[in-house]
Amino acid sequence: MNKKGVIVGVIVVAIIAGITASYSSSQTETVNLDMGRTHGTISTAMGSPILGDPSAPITIVEFGDYQCEQCYAWFHETKPAIVRDYIDTGKVNLVFVDLAFLGKDSIPASMATYCAEDQEMYWEYHDLLYNSQESIDGGWANSERLKAFAYSLGLDFELFESCLDSEKYSKRVQYNIQQAKDNGIRGTPGFFIVGPDGQQKIGGAQPFSVFKNVLDSMI
Amino acid sequence: MIQTIKLVYSNFKYVVLASTIFVPMMIGLLILSEYIFLEPYVVAHLPPGSELGFVLIVIISALSALVIPMNIFRIKILKSSKQKMGGGIFGSIIGAAAGACSCGPIGFAVISTFGSVGAAATAFLTNYEIPLRIIAIAILAVTYFTTMKSLKVECNLNH
Repeated sequence: MNKKGVIVGVIVVAIIAGITASYSSSQTETVNLDMGRTHGTISTAMGSPILGDPSAPITIVEFGDYQCEQCYAWFHETKPAIVRDYIDTGKVNLVFVDLAFLGKDSIPASMATYCAEDQEMYWEYHDLLYNSQESIDGGWANSERLKAFAYSLGLDFELFESCLDSEKYSKRVQYNIQQAKDNGIRGTPGFFIVGPDGQQKIGGAQPFSVFKNVLDSMI
Repeated sequence: MIQTIKLVYSNFKYVVLASTIFVPMMIGLLILSEYIFLEPYVVAHLPPGSELGFVLIVIISALSALVIPMNIFRIKILKSSKQKMGGGIFGSIIGAAAGACSCGPIGFAVISTFGSVGAAATAFLTNYEIPLRIIAIAILAVTYFTTMKSLKVECNLNH
Protein backbone atom coordinates (compact mmCIF):
# COMPACT_ATOMS: atom_id res chain seq x y z
CA MET A 1 0.00 0.00 0.00
CA ASN A 2 2.84 2.28 0.98
CA LYS A 3 4.71 1.44 -2.24
CA LYS A 4 1.57 2.16 -4.27
CA GLY A 5 1.17 5.45 -2.46
CA VAL A 6 4.73 6.45 -3.30
CA ILE A 7 4.25 5.57 -6.98
CA VAL A 8 0.97 7.52 -7.15
CA GLY A 9 2.69 10.43 -5.38
CA VAL A 10 5.57 10.42 -7.88
CA ILE A 11 3.11 10.34 -10.81
CA VAL A 12 1.12 13.25 -9.36
CA VAL A 13 4.28 15.29 -8.77
CA ALA A 14 5.45 14.53 -12.34
CA ILE A 15 2.09 15.64 -13.79
CA ILE A 16 2.14 18.87 -11.74
CA ALA A 17 5.74 19.54 -12.82
CA GLY A 18 4.79 18.92 -16.46
CA ILE A 19 1.82 21.29 -16.27
CA THR A 20 3.95 23.95 -14.54
CA ALA A 21 6.70 23.59 -17.13
CA SER A 22 4.29 23.86 -20.06
CA TYR A 23 2.58 26.84 -18.42
CA SER A 24 5.84 28.70 -17.82
CA SER A 25 7.12 28.01 -21.33
CA SER A 26 3.90 29.39 -22.77
CA GLN A 27 4.70 32.66 -20.95
CA THR A 28 7.04 33.57 -23.78
CA GLU A 29 6.06 33.40 -27.42
CA THR A 30 8.31 31.28 -29.56
CA VAL A 31 6.97 32.64 -32.85
CA ASN A 32 5.34 35.97 -33.68
CA LEU A 33 2.11 35.04 -35.38
CA ASP A 34 0.23 38.30 -34.85
CA MET A 35 0.67 40.22 -38.08
CA GLY A 36 -1.50 43.10 -36.86
CA ARG A 37 0.36 43.61 -33.60
CA THR A 38 0.91 47.17 -32.38
CA HIS A 39 2.27 48.64 -29.16
CA GLY A 40 1.40 52.30 -28.73
CA THR A 41 2.36 54.09 -31.92
CA ILE A 42 4.67 51.28 -33.02
CA SER A 43 3.77 48.45 -35.33
CA THR A 44 5.60 45.47 -33.88
CA ALA A 45 3.94 43.10 -36.36
CA MET A 46 7.31 42.29 -37.96
CA GLY A 47 9.27 42.38 -34.72
CA SER A 48 10.37 39.59 -32.44
CA PRO A 49 8.14 37.19 -30.57
CA ILE A 50 7.09 38.54 -27.17
CA LEU A 51 9.49 37.84 -24.31
CA GLY A 52 7.42 37.30 -21.18
CA ASP A 53 3.71 37.16 -20.59
CA PRO A 54 1.92 38.43 -23.74
CA SER A 55 -0.91 39.73 -21.56
CA ALA A 56 1.38 41.83 -19.32
CA PRO A 57 0.08 45.41 -18.99
CA ILE A 58 3.37 47.05 -19.99
CA THR A 59 5.55 46.38 -23.01
CA ILE A 60 9.15 47.44 -23.55
CA VAL A 61 9.83 47.88 -27.26
CA GLU A 62 13.58 47.74 -27.81
CA PHE A 63 15.10 49.02 -31.07
CA GLY A 64 18.55 47.54 -31.52
CA ASP A 65 21.40 46.53 -33.78
CA TYR A 66 23.34 43.33 -33.10
CA GLN A 67 26.61 45.12 -33.86
CA CYS A 68 25.98 48.05 -31.52
CA GLU A 69 28.25 48.02 -28.49
CA GLN A 70 25.80 50.08 -26.42
CA CYS A 71 23.12 47.45 -27.13
CA TYR A 72 25.61 44.86 -25.93
CA ALA A 73 26.14 46.91 -22.76
CA TRP A 74 22.39 47.19 -22.14
CA PHE A 75 21.89 43.49 -22.83
CA HIS A 76 24.48 42.56 -20.20
CA GLU A 77 24.03 45.26 -17.57
CA THR A 78 20.41 46.39 -17.53
CA LYS A 79 18.30 43.71 -19.21
CA PRO A 80 19.00 40.91 -16.68
CA ALA A 81 17.56 42.99 -13.82
CA ILE A 82 14.50 43.93 -15.92
CA VAL A 83 13.93 40.27 -16.79
CA ARG A 84 14.29 39.23 -13.14
CA ASP A 85 12.13 41.96 -11.57
CA TYR A 86 9.54 42.71 -14.25
CA ILE A 87 9.41 40.14 -17.06
CA ASP A 88 9.67 36.93 -15.04
CA THR A 89 7.09 38.31 -12.61
CA GLY A 90 4.57 38.92 -15.41
CA LYS A 91 4.43 42.72 -14.98
CA VAL A 92 6.15 43.56 -18.25
CA ASN A 93 6.94 41.95 -21.58
CA LEU A 94 9.50 42.87 -24.21
CA VAL A 95 9.59 43.02 -28.00
CA PHE A 96 12.77 43.52 -30.01
CA VAL A 97 12.53 45.52 -33.24
CA ASP A 98 15.56 45.74 -35.53
CA LEU A 99 17.23 49.04 -36.30
CA ALA A 100 20.05 47.42 -38.25
CA PHE A 101 22.13 50.31 -39.58
CA LEU A 102 25.68 50.10 -38.29
CA GLY A 103 27.44 47.94 -40.87
CA LYS A 104 27.07 45.47 -43.69
CA ASP A 105 26.66 42.53 -41.29
CA SER A 106 23.88 44.16 -39.27
CA ILE A 107 20.98 43.32 -41.61
CA PRO A 108 22.03 39.68 -42.19
CA ALA A 109 22.33 39.24 -38.40
CA SER A 110 18.76 40.50 -37.97
CA MET A 111 17.51 38.27 -40.78
CA ALA A 112 19.22 35.29 -39.17
CA THR A 113 17.23 35.77 -35.95
CA TYR A 114 13.99 35.37 -37.90
CA CYS A 115 15.36 32.27 -39.61
CA ALA A 116 15.92 30.96 -36.09
CA GLU A 117 12.38 31.99 -35.19
CA ASP A 118 11.13 29.67 -37.96
CA GLN A 119 12.51 26.92 -35.75
CA GLU A 120 11.13 28.48 -32.55
CA MET A 121 14.59 29.57 -31.37
CA TYR A 122 14.41 33.35 -31.81
CA TRP A 123 15.41 34.36 -28.28
CA GLU A 124 18.13 31.74 -28.01
CA TYR A 125 19.68 33.02 -31.26
CA HIS A 126 19.19 36.67 -30.22
CA ASP A 127 20.99 36.02 -26.93
CA LEU A 128 23.78 34.13 -28.67
CA LEU A 129 24.41 37.07 -31.01
CA TYR A 130 24.67 39.52 -28.12
CA ASN A 131 26.94 37.14 -26.25
CA SER A 132 29.20 36.79 -29.30
CA GLN A 133 29.48 40.44 -30.35
CA GLU A 134 32.86 41.75 -31.47
CA SER A 135 33.86 44.81 -33.52
CA ILE A 136 31.59 46.28 -36.21
CA ASP A 137 31.93 44.30 -39.46
CA GLY A 138 34.85 42.45 -37.94
CA GLY A 139 33.61 39.15 -39.38
CA TRP A 140 31.92 37.82 -36.25
CA ALA A 141 28.45 38.19 -37.87
CA ASN A 142 29.30 37.25 -41.45
CA SER A 143 27.26 34.61 -43.26
CA GLU A 144 29.49 31.71 -42.20
CA ARG A 145 29.46 32.72 -38.54
CA LEU A 146 25.69 33.24 -38.56
CA LYS A 147 25.30 29.70 -39.89
CA ALA A 148 27.79 28.40 -37.33
CA PHE A 149 25.69 29.98 -34.55
CA ALA A 150 22.63 28.14 -35.90
CA TYR A 151 24.60 24.91 -35.95
CA SER A 152 25.76 25.42 -32.38
CA LEU A 153 22.15 25.88 -31.25
CA GLY A 154 21.18 22.61 -32.91
CA LEU A 155 18.90 24.18 -35.51
CA ASP A 156 18.00 22.34 -38.72
CA PHE A 157 21.04 23.56 -40.62
CA GLU A 158 19.77 23.16 -44.18
CA LEU A 159 16.52 24.92 -43.36
CA PHE A 160 18.40 27.78 -41.69
CA GLU A 161 20.93 28.04 -44.50
CA SER A 162 18.30 28.23 -47.22
CA CYS A 163 16.38 30.83 -45.21
CA LEU A 164 19.46 33.02 -44.71
CA ASP A 165 20.85 32.64 -48.24
CA SER A 166 17.48 33.42 -49.83
CA GLU A 167 17.17 36.61 -47.69
CA LYS A 168 13.69 35.48 -46.79
CA TYR A 169 13.32 38.11 -44.08
CA SER A 170 14.93 41.07 -45.83
CA LYS A 171 11.63 42.97 -46.12
CA ARG A 172 10.75 42.18 -42.52
CA VAL A 173 13.98 43.79 -41.31
CA GLN A 174 13.48 46.79 -43.62
CA TYR A 175 9.96 47.20 -42.26
CA ASN A 176 11.34 47.26 -38.71
CA ILE A 177 14.00 49.83 -39.63
CA GLN A 178 11.26 52.01 -41.10
CA GLN A 179 9.19 51.63 -37.91
CA ALA A 180 12.16 52.89 -35.89
CA LYS A 181 12.56 55.92 -38.15
CA ASP A 182 8.82 56.65 -38.18
CA ASN A 183 8.82 56.67 -34.38
CA GLY A 184 11.76 59.05 -34.09
CA ILE A 185 14.39 56.54 -33.00
CA ARG A 186 17.80 57.99 -33.96
CA GLY A 187 20.23 55.52 -32.46
CA THR A 188 20.51 52.23 -30.70
CA PRO A 189 19.47 51.01 -28.29
CA GLY A 190 16.24 52.99 -28.20
CA PHE A 191 13.19 52.09 -26.16
CA PHE A 192 9.52 52.80 -25.83
CA ILE A 193 7.86 51.77 -22.59
CA VAL A 194 4.23 51.31 -23.57
CA GLY A 195 1.72 51.23 -20.72
CA PRO A 196 -2.05 51.44 -20.42
CA ASP A 197 -1.93 55.25 -20.19
CA GLY A 198 0.65 56.10 -22.79
CA GLN A 199 4.26 55.57 -23.79
CA GLN A 200 7.63 56.87 -22.66
CA LYS A 201 10.72 57.04 -24.85
CA ILE A 202 14.15 56.17 -23.43
CA GLY A 203 17.25 56.71 -25.56
CA GLY A 204 20.51 54.84 -25.06
CA ALA A 205 21.82 52.12 -22.80
CA GLN A 206 20.46 53.70 -19.65
CA PRO A 207 20.88 52.07 -16.23
CA PHE A 208 18.29 49.89 -14.53
CA SER A 209 17.31 52.70 -12.12
CA VAL A 210 15.85 54.72 -15.01
CA PHE A 211 13.79 51.80 -16.30
CA LYS A 212 12.66 51.01 -12.76
CA ASN A 213 11.42 54.58 -12.22
CA VAL A 214 9.51 54.60 -15.50
CA LEU A 215 8.07 51.11 -15.07
CA ASP A 216 7.06 51.66 -11.43
CA SER A 217 5.28 54.88 -12.40
CA MET A 218 3.21 52.93 -14.95
CA ILE A 219 2.32 49.90 -12.81
CA MET B 1 57.05 75.27 -16.77
CA ILE B 2 54.91 76.57 -13.92
CA GLN B 3 56.09 80.09 -14.65
CA THR B 4 54.94 79.80 -18.23
CA ILE B 5 51.50 78.55 -17.16
CA LYS B 6 51.32 81.39 -14.61
CA LEU B 7 52.23 83.87 -17.32
CA VAL B 8 49.29 82.80 -19.49
CA TYR B 9 46.70 82.18 -16.79
CA SER B 10 47.49 85.25 -14.69
CA ASN B 11 45.21 86.91 -17.21
CA PHE B 12 41.73 85.99 -16.00
CA LYS B 13 40.39 86.00 -19.58
CA TYR B 14 42.41 82.85 -20.30
CA VAL B 15 41.10 81.11 -17.19
CA VAL B 16 37.57 81.83 -18.41
CA LEU B 17 38.48 80.62 -21.90
CA ALA B 18 39.97 77.38 -20.48
CA SER B 19 36.82 76.77 -18.42
CA THR B 20 34.64 77.52 -21.43
CA ILE B 21 36.50 74.86 -23.38
CA PHE B 22 36.79 72.26 -20.61
CA VAL B 23 33.28 72.14 -19.17
CA PRO B 24 31.19 72.02 -22.39
CA MET B 25 33.69 69.69 -24.08
CA MET B 26 33.73 67.21 -21.22
CA ILE B 27 29.98 67.27 -20.65
CA GLY B 28 29.32 67.05 -24.41
CA LEU B 29 31.63 64.06 -24.83
CA LEU B 30 30.20 62.34 -21.74
CA ILE B 31 26.69 62.77 -23.18
CA LEU B 32 27.73 61.51 -26.64
CA SER B 33 29.53 58.53 -25.12
CA GLU B 34 26.48 57.79 -22.94
CA TYR B 35 28.03 58.42 -19.54
CA ILE B 36 25.39 61.10 -18.95
CA PHE B 37 21.74 60.89 -20.00
CA LEU B 38 19.40 63.85 -20.04
CA GLU B 39 16.05 62.16 -20.68
CA PRO B 40 13.73 61.12 -19.13
CA TYR B 41 15.88 61.99 -16.06
CA VAL B 42 19.36 63.44 -15.73
CA VAL B 43 21.48 60.43 -14.86
CA ALA B 44 25.24 59.85 -14.75
CA HIS B 45 26.22 56.24 -15.37
CA LEU B 46 29.65 54.61 -15.43
CA PRO B 47 29.18 51.00 -16.53
CA PRO B 48 31.81 48.48 -15.40
CA GLY B 49 34.62 48.19 -17.94
CA SER B 50 34.15 51.69 -19.33
CA GLU B 51 36.31 53.49 -16.76
CA LEU B 52 39.24 53.90 -19.18
CA GLY B 53 37.01 55.60 -21.77
CA PHE B 54 35.77 57.99 -19.08
CA VAL B 55 39.29 58.87 -17.89
CA LEU B 56 40.47 59.46 -21.48
CA ILE B 57 37.57 61.88 -22.09
CA VAL B 58 38.50 63.85 -18.97
CA ILE B 59 42.18 63.97 -20.00
CA ILE B 60 41.36 65.11 -23.57
CA SER B 61 39.05 67.84 -22.29
CA ALA B 62 41.64 69.02 -19.73
CA LEU B 63 44.52 69.04 -22.24
CA SER B 64 42.39 70.85 -24.83
CA ALA B 65 41.44 73.45 -22.23
CA LEU B 66 45.11 73.87 -21.33
CA VAL B 67 46.68 73.90 -24.81
CA ILE B 68 44.21 75.97 -26.86
CA PRO B 69 44.25 79.10 -24.61
CA MET B 70 48.07 78.93 -24.44
CA ASN B 71 48.24 78.98 -28.23
CA ILE B 72 45.74 81.83 -28.43
CA PHE B 73 47.96 83.71 -25.94
CA ARG B 74 50.97 83.10 -28.18
CA ILE B 75 49.14 84.36 -31.25
CA LYS B 76 47.47 87.38 -29.63
CA ILE B 77 50.08 88.64 -27.20
CA LEU B 78 53.28 87.56 -28.85
CA LYS B 79 51.99 87.84 -32.45
CA SER B 80 53.36 84.39 -33.23
CA SER B 81 52.39 82.17 -36.15
CA LYS B 82 49.21 80.08 -36.00
CA GLN B 83 51.08 76.89 -36.87
CA LYS B 84 51.09 75.23 -33.42
CA MET B 85 47.44 76.08 -32.82
CA GLY B 86 46.56 73.43 -35.45
CA GLY B 87 47.98 70.61 -33.31
CA GLY B 88 45.76 71.49 -30.36
CA ILE B 89 42.62 71.74 -32.45
CA PHE B 90 43.46 68.61 -34.46
CA GLY B 91 44.06 66.61 -31.26
CA SER B 92 40.80 67.87 -29.78
CA ILE B 93 38.84 66.95 -32.90
CA ILE B 94 40.29 63.42 -33.05
CA GLY B 95 39.58 62.93 -29.37
CA ALA B 96 36.03 64.20 -29.74
CA ALA B 97 35.24 62.21 -32.89
CA ALA B 98 36.52 58.88 -31.56
CA GLY B 99 33.61 56.96 -30.16
CA ALA B 100 31.23 59.90 -30.43
CA CYS B 101 29.79 58.44 -33.64
CA SER B 102 29.13 54.90 -32.37
CA CYS B 103 25.46 53.81 -32.40
CA GLY B 104 24.02 57.07 -31.11
CA PRO B 105 22.32 59.93 -32.97
CA ILE B 106 25.55 61.22 -34.55
CA GLY B 107 26.45 57.82 -35.99
CA PHE B 108 22.88 57.39 -37.19
CA ALA B 109 22.92 60.81 -38.89
CA VAL B 110 26.35 60.19 -40.49
CA ILE B 111 25.29 56.77 -41.84
CA SER B 112 21.90 58.05 -43.02
CA THR B 113 23.59 60.94 -44.87
CA PHE B 114 26.72 59.31 -46.28
CA GLY B 115 25.60 55.68 -46.68
CA SER B 116 28.28 53.02 -46.83
CA VAL B 117 31.13 55.58 -46.63
CA GLY B 118 29.59 56.98 -43.47
CA ALA B 119 29.12 53.46 -42.11
CA ALA B 120 32.80 52.64 -42.77
CA ALA B 121 33.93 55.86 -41.06
CA THR B 122 31.63 55.26 -38.08
CA ALA B 123 32.80 51.66 -37.76
CA PHE B 124 36.45 52.83 -37.79
CA LEU B 125 35.86 55.53 -35.17
CA THR B 126 33.94 53.07 -32.96
CA ASN B 127 36.24 50.07 -33.31
CA TYR B 128 39.37 52.14 -32.61
CA GLU B 129 37.85 54.50 -30.03
CA ILE B 130 40.43 53.91 -27.30
CA PRO B 131 43.57 53.97 -29.54
CA LEU B 132 42.27 57.12 -31.27
CA ARG B 133 41.72 58.86 -27.95
CA ILE B 134 45.23 57.89 -26.84
CA ILE B 135 46.62 59.29 -30.13
CA ALA B 136 44.64 62.49 -29.52
CA ILE B 137 46.15 62.78 -26.03
CA ALA B 138 49.62 62.23 -27.49
CA ILE B 139 49.05 65.00 -30.07
CA LEU B 140 47.77 67.36 -27.38
CA ALA B 141 50.69 66.50 -25.11
CA VAL B 142 53.23 67.17 -27.88
CA THR B 143 51.46 70.43 -28.72
CA TYR B 144 51.57 71.39 -25.02
CA PHE B 145 55.29 70.82 -24.68
CA THR B 146 56.21 72.55 -27.95
CA THR B 147 53.99 75.50 -26.99
CA MET B 148 55.67 75.71 -23.58
CA LYS B 149 59.08 75.62 -25.20
CA SER B 150 58.26 78.31 -27.71
CA LEU B 151 56.60 80.50 -25.06
CA LYS B 152 59.77 80.31 -22.96
CA VAL B 153 61.95 81.27 -25.91
CA GLU B 154 59.63 83.97 -27.23
CA CYS B 155 59.08 85.51 -23.80
CA ASN B 156 62.82 85.62 -23.13
CA LEU B 157 63.32 87.32 -26.48
CA ASN B 158 60.56 89.82 -25.82
CA HIS B 159 61.56 90.78 -22.30
